[in-house]
Amino acid sequence: MHSLTMETITMPETTPMPARSFAVLGLFDTPNALMKAIPQVRVANLGTVEAYTPYPIHGMDEALGLRRSPLGGMVLVMGILGALTAFGFQYWISAIDYPIVTGGKPPSSWEAFIPIMFEVMVLFATFTAGLGMLFLLNKLPFFGHPVLSSKAITGITRDRYGLAIEAESEAFDSTAAAQALKEAGAVEVEILPAPDRSPFLTSDFILRTLGGIFAACVVSGIVMFLTIKWFPLLAPMKYMQDQPRLDAQRASAFFKDGHGMQMPVAGTVARGYLPTATGTQEAAVALVNPLPRTREVFAVGRKAYANRCEVCHGAIGNGVGSLTAAYGGKPANLQAQQFRDYPDGKIYWAIVNGKNAMPSQAADLTETQRWSVVHYVRALQRAQNAKDEDLKVATP
Amino acid sequence: MRADAANLPGDIPEGLIEPSLTVGKVTPGSLDDQVLAFPETRPPKQWYIGLAITLTALFTGLGFIGYTFFTGIGAWGNNSPVFWAFDIINFVFWVGIGHAGTLISAILFLFRKRWRNAIARFAEAMTIFAVMCAVIFPLIHVGRPWLAFWLFPYPNQRALWTNFRSPLLWDVFAVNTYFSVSLMFWYLGLIPDIASMRDRTTSRLRRTIYTVLALGWRGAASHWQHYEKAYLLLAGLATGLVLSVHSVVSFDFATSVVPGWHMTIFPPYFVAGAIFAGFAMVVMVLVVVRETMQLKNLITMRHLDVMNKVILAMSCIMGYSYMMEGFTAWYSMNEYLHHGFMNIITGTYGWAGWLTISCNILIPQILWFKKARASYFWMIFIAIGVTIGMWFERFVIIVISLHQDYLPSAWRVYRPTMTDFGILLGTFGLFFTLVLIFARVLPVIATTEVKAILPDAQPHHGDDHHA
Repeated sequence: MHSLTMETITMPETTPMPARSFAVLGLFDTPNALMKAIPQVRVANLGTVEAYTPYPIHGMDEALGLRRSPLGGMVLVMGILGALTAFGFQYWISAIDYPIVTGGKPPSSWEAFIPIMFEVMVLFATFTAGLGMLFLLNKLPFFGHPVLSSKAITGITRDRYGLAIEAESEAFDSTAAAQALKEAGAVEVEILPAPDRSPFLTSDFILRTLGGIFAACVVSGIVMFLTIKWFPLLAPMKYMQDQPRLDAQRASAFFKDGHGMQMPVAGTVARGYLPTATGTQEAAVALVNPLPRTREVFAVGRKAYANRCEVCHGAIGNGVGSLTAAYGGKPANLQAQQFRDYPDGKIYWAIVNGKNAMPSQAADLTETQRWSVVHYVRALQRAQNAKDEDLKVATP
Repeated sequence: MRADAANLPGDIPEGLIEPSLTVGKVTPGSLDDQVLAFPETRPPKQWYIGLAITLTALFTGLGFIGYTFFTGIGAWGNNSPVFWAFDIINFVFWVGIGHAGTLISAILFLFRKRWRNAIARFAEAMTIFAVMCAVIFPLIHVGRPWLAFWLFPYPNQRALWTNFRSPLLWDVFAVNTYFSVSLMFWYLGLIPDIASMRDRTTSRLRRTIYTVLALGWRGAASHWQHYEKAYLLLAGLATGLVLSVHSVVSFDFATSVVPGWHMTIFPPYFVAGAIFAGFAMVVMVLVVVRETMQLKNLITMRHLDVMNKVILAMSCIMGYSYMMEGFTAWYSMNEYLHHGFMNIITGTYGWAGWLTISCNILIPQILWFKKARASYFWMIFIAIGVTIGMWFERFVIIVISLHQDYLPSAWRVYRPTMTDFGILLGTFGLFFTLVLIFARVLPVIATTEVKAILPDAQPHHGDDHHA
């Protein structure tokens, strides 16, 4: 190496000077030589001093007087931001936009959001560390740096240690810089010309770029259109559409007669249309009140009775209602022995079908309401004919 | 040139001097010539034979995956009540393999274990390839993989959002983050090496590719400063991440009520198992790499010895976890848990349980012997054993727990089909195909990191005394 030194120094006096130089780069063979040279070169104060090495060298930051990397703070901020973003996103979706109870947890159960908060925090922090270092702090990718086109770069990324004095202004003296590096022990010195700064945003360049973007848009648009149109119709994807089901008003090979729709089986009863109390009142004796005697049932029965029955049968069921006198009708006195002996089914039959002048209440009372009224009538009868035992039952 | 100042004992006591991590004289230049020359030379015949074998396996797997798409998931052995079988076993297995890479590259970096520098690159590459193999399984397991993007929470015309209380969704985030972070970590490490390759290659095409990939890296001190900081931060983040990823994978099981899954020991148990299986795979591949690529001076027997010690330590942790599982089953006095544990050692799949215990706990104990840690035969034997054992451990956890749970009327014996085995073979094909390609196109050793720890690589204060 040392024998080559004198030939490879590019002396500014003998070679034609580049119009403007970006920097002067000196090469050293060992990290020790480089570290020893740095203070000497910095003292000369000829320009910005920068080292180029194949791997990071301990103590370089202090030697060059570099400020601490701000990356740690950036990563901290972005990591916290990532965690908050993930929490906000999950909270908004789970508790506000789409609140669905899963696993019996309240919509805002934040404990379940922690794993994803952690992952997104790491994701944000990592991309900040990696891309922030490359793009923001190191200003990469940059392919036009003069060092990259220097002769020394093959050594710098291999096993040699470069020290550059970079121009800070027009007054940069490359001769003095080369001399300073040589005195500091550089085995080779190279003057790096300033990069070509001619504008690349020519109209031709812009036109070609826009044309390229346009062509790319057209091609990707056509591809997307065809993909969306045809892809779901291709073999495994369309399987979800081939469903062996019966469609209304369509033929089907499943049944012998070829019809998709079939007549219901004989005796089929539609939901809510159970044929109760359609026979004679005597036949309805067999019907049993399906409802329990609960406070709620009596409340339903009382309300229905008040709305539909009371005007004729009277508030206590004695056949004296507010309409009785006006129309001269004779509604049944439900307190009479005849009706107190009626089984539940016969009262129910009368509600459904009506009796004598009484019209059918079937259209106005539901199944539940009718049976509730039966219970209520029974309660009225018992209340009007109370015995001593009833009092015992009532008082705890 | 100075004498080997770093190797002179000086004032340091004899016992504290670290043995050299390289064999023979290695300089930054010779390192480049040895490692970075691979991509520029023609691969040997054995490489093509290896590639032919792995590609055959890969295309076999692709064929079976295609068959699954066309016939449906019924092509697999999965059926009620064993709805998770090979798909999830293989997923957990491959994610676990990846963990060794992150451990070596991140955790050992934080602990300043310099021996990691020579093997970190390969281990990181294996992480990325293993995660690629792993993500195949959840994708094909959903049945309609072309709609797999439904896993992500994005505004859609169906007005549906994902369920953030489901560990399966945590998994989607964890595995994707893990892959992104591993890739970022790997690529950042590669940039200075690619820059070296860019500046040494004579081929125009290679130069163009490397120029783009190196992003114009020029080794400036101000860049190295941020670079080192970023690397340190990434190592710290990846350390937390590697612990979280397999913990989240274990939540898929631990948050359910299936006896044998619902245990608090699962997260650390899964992480230890992942590192265990991953180290076995790294040892296996590194032995082949160091022999076939003539890297014996850089990947030394000392590296293999240290990794075998890690395998031994992890094996002991696994042994503790297995015992803890048995203890929990006994101490809980829960008859379902008890039945589940007895199934592992005496049930229909009792052979799988004993295979797991033998391969993971008993056989690795051979590594207590220094001779075994220095013998290719034993370390490969144990590494293959651990790989098989760890695969069967997931089989034990998933299939044995599912095939007999609370309802005896729903018990059923699970039998895998040819398709199940074919897809598993395919992922091994994919993994080793990628490993083979990686070994030929990118630097298998992080030359920049190794350069920085070579003797004489750092300035020595007071070395004038020796000069």
